[in-house]
Amino acid sequence: MKPRIEVRGAGIRFGALQVFRGIDLEVGEREVVAIVGPSGCGKTTLLRCINGLIPLTEGEITIEGEPLAAPREGVAMVFQHFGLFPWKTVFQNVAYGLRLAGASRAEIADKAQKFIDVVGLTGFENYYPYQISGGMQQRCGLARALSVAPRVLLMDEPFGAVDAQTREILQFELLSIWETRPTSMVFVTHAIDEAVLMGDRVLVLKGSPSAVHEVVDVQLPRPRNRATLLHPRFAELREHVWQTLMADARKAEFKVTQ
Amino acid sequence: MPRRNWILYATMFASLALGAAAWELAGHLTSDAFWAPLSTTLKSLGEVVHNGVLLRQAASSFELYLTGLALAVVVGAPFGVLLARITWLRVALEDYIMMLYATPMVALIPFILSMMGFGFAPKVLVVFLFAVFPVLYNTVEGARSVRPELIEVAHSFRSGEWALWRDVMIPYTLPFAMTGIRQAIARGLVGMVAAEFFLSPSGLGQMIMMGSQNFDTASMLAAILIMVLLGVGLMDIGLYLEKRFAAWRGYNP
Ligand SMILES: Nc1ncnc2c1ncn2[C@@H]1O[C@H](COP(=O)(O)OP(=O)(O)O)[C@@H](O)[C@H]1O
Ligand SMILES: [Mg+2]
Repeated sequence: MKPRIEVRGAGIRFGALQVFRGIDLEVGEREVVAIVGPSGCGKTTLLRCINGLIPLTEGEITIEGEPLAAPREGVAMVFQHFGLFPWKTVFQNVAYGLRLAGASRAEIADKAQKFIDVVGLTGFENYYPYQISGGMQQRCGLARALSVAPRVLLMDEPFGAVDAQTREILQFELLSIWETRPTSMVFVTHAIDEAVLMGDRVLVLKGSPSAVHEVVDVQLPRPRNRATLLHPRFAELREHVWQTLMADARKAEFKVTQ
Repeated sequence: MPRRNWILYATMFASLALGAAAWELAGHLTSDAFWAPLSTTLKSLGEVVHNGVLLRQAASSFELYLTGLALAVVVGAPFGVLLARITWLRVALEDYIMMLYATPMVALIPFILSMMGFGFAPKVLVVFLFAVFPVLYNTVEGARSVRPELIEVAHSFRSGEWALWRDVMIPYTLPFAMTGIRQAIARGLVGMVAAEFFLSPSGLGQMIMMGSQNFDTASMLAAILIMVLLGVGLMDIGLYLEKRFAAWRGYNP
């Protein structure tokens, strides 16, 4: 079976800046690929390419077998900055994707409410984003993405802007939501343990311009939950990814300081 | 809190009463041609209300004012968003807009007179010119400050240009446009009086002029009083609308 997302030899250049090149990536129908790399290595840019927001300068992307030209139906993104509309209530924000997809009023009311319940925002439907915490705002962003029943879910450091405790809670909630309806997911993060916890595979991006340095096959059992953190293989993998990422980072840092 | 409010209201009331007393006193201490007492002014106000002159003149002024103001909003706000979305158009027109915004509009009135003569249209143009630039300027600045991430969110959810305006550009820009409209409310009033003075005399402006020529200070002050009340009332409406549309920015609704 063809993978749902296929990225071949992807490269992006902004003027003189070559951000990454030669990236290959395949995501199956019920697969999560985590992408980890230092800040500025082009993770967000790669996701924007997969979303069809910006064109590649080299290589090509196909989704469900079709070459990508513009944002596709069935692909939804969760943003690091949440991307909520401050003038819309929680309900209106969640309903946004459905409305643009042309859903009927009854369908919107039904589905938006369903996903508000799924992410645990019941009772906050009429709140504005500025009235709720960062964690709740990201729950709202997640509900908005889930409500359009995406077959591809793109997550751009979704928990990067919330505090540590909230982040842990949200990680496990996302895992259990994913279990009830597994889809293709690309999960970008700069946190190594998060990448290992989420991904079936972890792509380590590194270098300048960055490229795939290693693909780690995670092979931790699903469903994943808090117990996964205690799995011996989890510690092993985290250590392995850490070594791959940090070895050069230390060298680079020392070079700068000297 | 209620106690504080009570003190504030008492202070406000005392201040207004003092102002009224000063007005009355000034009228008695000076010649009637210079300054009429409040009581005479109110009596004259009662007269012009009674014989329908005030209503007719105020209606004429109001028609002029509202036409000019409505045109300024209808043209200024959409054009402002358009300028913010289309870069080359903005770059091409920016300097002209700044120049016109900075120009004291009264200086253009003789020019408008020689171009368009007397009548309703040139007067509307004057009110429009007074009012349109704050609307335009604030809208452009507002629409330009739309966070690009939000536009990207819209594109990510496959929004077309029209839906982008409906869901992002217009709601984001509305509070900024309202700030401009509130300024336009005040400037438009100035424009109205200027048009009524310097083009064909009409409305409240004409009442003021005639009052001044006939040394009828009382009816002059009556017309001014109506104008002040009109301005204050409209400013309040503007402020209310501005706050209402800016609720999402975290202000008190
Ligand atoms: N539209 C753009 N124009 C020019 N440079 C950009 C643009 N978008 C991103 N960049 C640059 O590309 C690099 C990668 O950015 P980004 O993808 O946001 O990294 P990451 O998400 O991994 O932190 C950065 O150096 C950033 O400054
Ligand atoms: Mg990023």
